[in-house]
Amino acid sequence: MEFKDYYQTLGVSRDASADDIKKAFRRLARKYHPDVSKEADAEHKMKEVNEAYTVLSDSEKRAAYDQLQQRGFQAGSDFQPPPGWDANFEFSGRGFSGAQAADFSDFFAELFGHGMGSGTRHAHQRMRGEDHHAKIMLDLEDSYHGATRSITLRMPKLDNQGRPVLTEHTLNVRIPKGVHAGQVIRLAGQGGSGHAGEPAGDLFLEVQFKPHNRYRIEGKDIHVTLPVAPWEAALGAIVKVPVPDGLVEVRVTENSQSGRKLRLKGRGIPAAVPGDLYLLLEVVLPPATSEKAREFYQNMARELAFDPRQHLGV
Amino acid sequence: MSREIDAILLEEAMLSLDELARSCRVSREWVIEHVQWGLLPDGDRLQADPDSWIFDSHSLIRIKRIIAIERDFDSNPELAGLVADLIEEIELLRARLKTSGLDGY
Repeated sequence: MEFKDYYQTLGVSRDASADDIKKAFRRLARKYHPDVSKEADAEHKMKEVNEAYTVLSDSEKRAAYDQLQQRGFQAGSDFQPPPGWDANFEFSGRGFSGAQAADFSDFFAELFGHGMGSGTRHAHQRMRGEDHHAKIMLDLEDSYHGATRSITLRMPKLDNQGRPVLTEHTLNVRIPKGVHAGQVIRLAGQGGSGHAGEPAGDLFLEVQFKPHNRYRIEGKDIHVTLPVAPWEAALGAIVKVPVPDGLVEVRVTENSQSGRKLRLKGRGIPAAVPGDLYLLLEVVLPPATSEKAREFYQNMARELAFDPRQHLGV
Repeated sequence: MSREIDAILLEEAMLSLDELARSCRVSREWVIEHVQWGLLPDGDRLQADPDSWIFDSHSLIRIKRIIAIERDFDSNPELAGLVADLIEEIELLRARLKTSGLDGY
């Protein structure tokens, strides 16, 4: 396991005051806030910053950690906690929850994780398991058809010797049809385990869609660009369009222009009240690369007397 | 082989006040106060008994966000509410940009 330099993570010196540590944390929390950050990997960085702050903002954890650094451990060096390193400290499971710790590193779990999961702290208390929260990335098609997706979560557990370890836990989740981004799905009993016969907590997953190369998604509505030939737009046509749940035939009315929107009611995400599917017409000109094509365009110029800039008065 | 687990849409079985508070690890009073201050959606539920309140996906996500902002920045609730409003607005505008094909990402 790698030793983590929490001071380096927060960008503060070893003798930084509690106030400096708080300031550094806030500055980084702003920089890496997953909702607004433009930084790549902001979510992961935010977890590291949270972990470092959880240790350095707690005077006891910080003192215990400092003691390890004084023994010569450095960032990246291979680390096994020396026996009895924490003998004089009493910080088990304080100041963070098991669900939060699941986001933290193995290094953190090894040092401070004694109260996590089905740990020792509440073993004698009757207590329902904690709810856990995470995100799940789905394909748009999953929402149209329903799907089973497997997700892997890290859960704190105690090993045979009663030492805390983060274990990976894979769940096969049946995704309800019609779910859309910004909705939460709930998996009963898949959160933290309960104590003394009390039920486990639930797992809540916030749904996000992966970007799609064809469809753009806004809430329950789907938008797709529909390229049409000039004669289809001018004369009207019936064209075939692939949509997430199959193929539809759409009437393009005559004299359509680029930018016209066609709405297919109820063909968006199949929620209880289904969304709509919007087709954005885009007239695509055939390239004038052959002699024949050039001739057609020259004929049009001659025969149609068409000035698209008439309203500009030039 | 692990078995398949059914996921239930929150909108089909919304959270009660107690469930929401427990899930987010805040007190009932914390939620009630934030509703009273107008920081959570559907302030009109104020007339009803808190035990009859129910919370949907949007409420849950918003509450988690406000908790994180208050905690990470020692922010007061009003400021956290304002930040949450702005984040929601940005999300909406980004989605609009995308559907208009005007986004760069």
